[in-house]
Amino acid sequence: MFKSLDSKQMKKSLLAIGLGAALAFTGSIAQAGKYGIGDTATKDQIAGWDIDIRPDGKGLPAGEGTVEAGESLYEERCATCHGLFGEGEGRWPVLAGGEGTLTEERPTKTVGSYWPYASTLYDYIRRAMPFTAPRSLSDQQVYDITAYVLYLNEIIEEDFVLTKDSLASIEMPNQDNFFVDPRPDVKNVRCMKNCADPKKLKIAGTLRGITPVGHFVEGADAPAASHDAQMEQEQHKEKARKATLKGETLTSHGSAGAASLSEMALAGKATYEGACKVCHGSGLTGSPKVGDIDAWAGRIKQGMPILLDHAIKGFSGDTGVMPPKGGRVDLSDKQVEQAVSYMVESSQ
Amino acid sequence: MSKIIKGPSTRELMEQMARESEHLSINDRRDFLRKGVVAAAGMAATTVAGSAVAAQVNPANLPPNEPTWGKQLGHGVVEYPYGSPSQFEKHVVRRTVPWLTADSIASISMTPLQDLKGIITPNGLVFERYHGGVPQVNPDEHRLIIHGLVERPIIFTMEDLMRFPSVSEIKFIECPANGGMEWKGAQMEALQFTHGMLSCCEWTGVPLKTLLEEAGVKPEGKWILAEGADGAHMSRSIPLEKALEDTLVVYAQNGEMLRPEQGYPLRLLNPGWEGNTSIKWLRRLEVGDKPWYHREETSKYTDLMPDGRARKFTFVQETNSVITSPCPENPMVKPGFVEIEGIAWSGRGKIKQVDISFDGGVSWVPAKLKGLVLDKALTRFSLVTKWDGQPWLLQSRSVDETGYVQPTLRQLREVRGGNSIYHKNSIHTWKVAPTGEVTNVQIT
Repeated sequence: MFKSLDSKQMKKSLLAIGLGAALAFTGSIAQAGKYGIGDTATKDQIAGWDIDIRPDGKGLPAGEGTVEAGESLYEERCATCHGLFGEGEGRWPVLAGGEGTLTEERPTKTVGSYWPYASTLYDYIRRAMPFTAPRSLSDQQVYDITAYVLYLNEIIEEDFVLTKDSLASIEMPNQDNFFVDPRPDVKNVRCMKNCADPKKLKIAGTLRGITPVGHFVEGADAPAASHDAQMEQEQHKEKARKATLKGETLTSHGSAGAASLSEMALAGKATYEGACKVCHGSGLTGSPKVGDIDAWAGRIKQGMPILLDHAIKGFSGDTGVMPPKGGRVDLSDKQVEQAVSYMVESSQ
Repeated sequence: MSKIIKGPSTRELMEQMARESEHLSINDRRDFLRKGVVAAAGMAATTVAGSAVAAQVNPANLPPNEPTWGKQLGHGVVEYPYGSPSQFEKHVVRRTVPWLTADSIASISMTPLQDLKGIITPNGLVFERYHGGVPQVNPDEHRLIIHGLVERPIIFTMEDLMRFPSVSEIKFIECPANGGMEWKGAQMEALQFTHGMLSCCEWTGVPLKTLLEEAGVKPEGKWILAEGADGAHMSRSIPLEKALEDTLVVYAQNGEMLRPEQGYPLRLLNPGWEGNTSIKWLRRLEVGDKPWYHREETSKYTDLMPDGRARKFTFVQETNSVITSPCPENPMVKPGFVEIEGIAWSGRGKIKQVDISFDGGVSWVPAKLKGLVLDKALTRFSLVTKWDGQPWLLQSRSVDETGYVQPTLRQLREVRGGNSIYHKNSIHTWKVAPTGEVTNVQIT
């Protein structure tokens, strides 16, 4: 797995000379490494990975973000999961609202109601968002989206210009309400006898039917044990319910088995699993779910060239947004074609 | 956006009923919820089968007959170059509760504690927690950079890191949300889901202190930002004191290289601290003078108190324990001899004592600690007794070497309310019915 590199050791001794000079120059008291293992990291190497931002603004790049520019970006890249107004779709995080709910039975923790620092928003969007295509936004786009999410939370005005300095100066509503862990905060004693009044014990049972226990409880009507199966189960129940309302019997739609798939589609299965399934496996963000014949019928009718064009170049439809190549610009057009074939053939 | 219109899920129904029953006493509330569930979801009563996977027994393989496998040959060496558990152990797997999260890529699964022996979790069963799925990292292309307030920023290859003198230590790792679904009430019907965000392995790697000394931390350096190479680029701020005390930079678990699920080829391990600080696919350590307050230490992994304020940097996993046999998955077989077994652990050190109660915490008897008793590791306890077929309210209570005694749920709720999500380490209760059925209950 690991090759020995003579040239690297040579480079190391050259670097050691440079290091000695640097230490002499700064007058540092730090000792040279005891083992002398590892190369000195260059500024360029560090710069490419050093993406973190701190509340005091340390780490923020140059740039100016505006609410206006952020709005369209947000709607294109974020709203499918987080909702047009930051209200959250399905179980995806709610970004806005929730002020004054932190003491309630069901608090809504959002950027505006809970987050102590605005810098966290820039940092997180830059390191991990959008969920299906992390590190795909430019620093500028991150500024714009950050501005828009702050605007959705009524933390900045519409004309606020977000910069390195202005971002660090924003005071978040909940900033002063965090304190360092005071635990241990409770003190139990090791009592051995008469530790409680048996007459006063209140016993509350488990809410049944919400944990997947089919593996050891016969006949348990619990949610299925995987996210896919859970989604499938919920969809099937919904279809059955609608069918009952109409007085119909539900015909089950089996998805195409591997035997009936074309060579092109079979070749696309791996790409689908690795890149497309995150949305198309569950119907996330309004995408047509693989195997959902109704959802695909209209799309398939348009013909493969149009479907493929939308998949490669991106498309905004009635139910959601398909980013170019689903955000995976590293995929070749051929791979996308194969994956689309797989999805189409599995959904008719 | 989605055109799919969902009927209320079971969870939504439960939540609705929970809200509607808030004014009722606990007993009335339970009845209401039980009846409500049956009415709303049209569910049939469930029956415990002992185990739905109970093996089918063919008498032809029992004495005095010679079983099939004694009359033929089995497979030879390296037919399976990397071995797997017996085909009869297929039920011993990680499981998840799908409604907990929006997607399996940013989600959690639980270790089947009910099926495990000793204190080591097999690598394939260590609980999973991903924020952006499992990356497939080529170790030859993986680098760890240490920079910031250091004399010499260093970039390490995996080969570099494996040249340092290594240490191997057995430590538990636990998600702070373990048990967190039960702050407001008992709702998980299985040990795997009440306590399974917990595993314990022998980890091999280099003390972070060694690497920091190699880089030379400047005097103003007080915090370290650890960051992963995965799509989530998971990041946490770690105080320098912890890094110098016992943090490890780990590349192996239980004798083999890390599993991809556990951060292959490199992860951080902060013994005794909440699992998310042990950054997986570790690529960067930056030394700074202040914490970074990133998403996973502000929006998440902070503990909301009843007054609306929140605790931050709640790192340590305080002592906790649970009985693993019996449990809902392992009901009582029949009256007579029984070994009550379980596990205890503490993020502050070794387990000193575990006590067991059969009557819901009125009286307690000491259990015996079995096998290795190690710092910040799972510790197994046992009590051999007899069951006469009467109902039990079975509890375990651990005490760690600092003298801290595992608290009751009431004690925790009095201070922290019900919105904390994390760090619920209270005494757990299994109700044993005369039928042998074991269910999860809460005593207040």
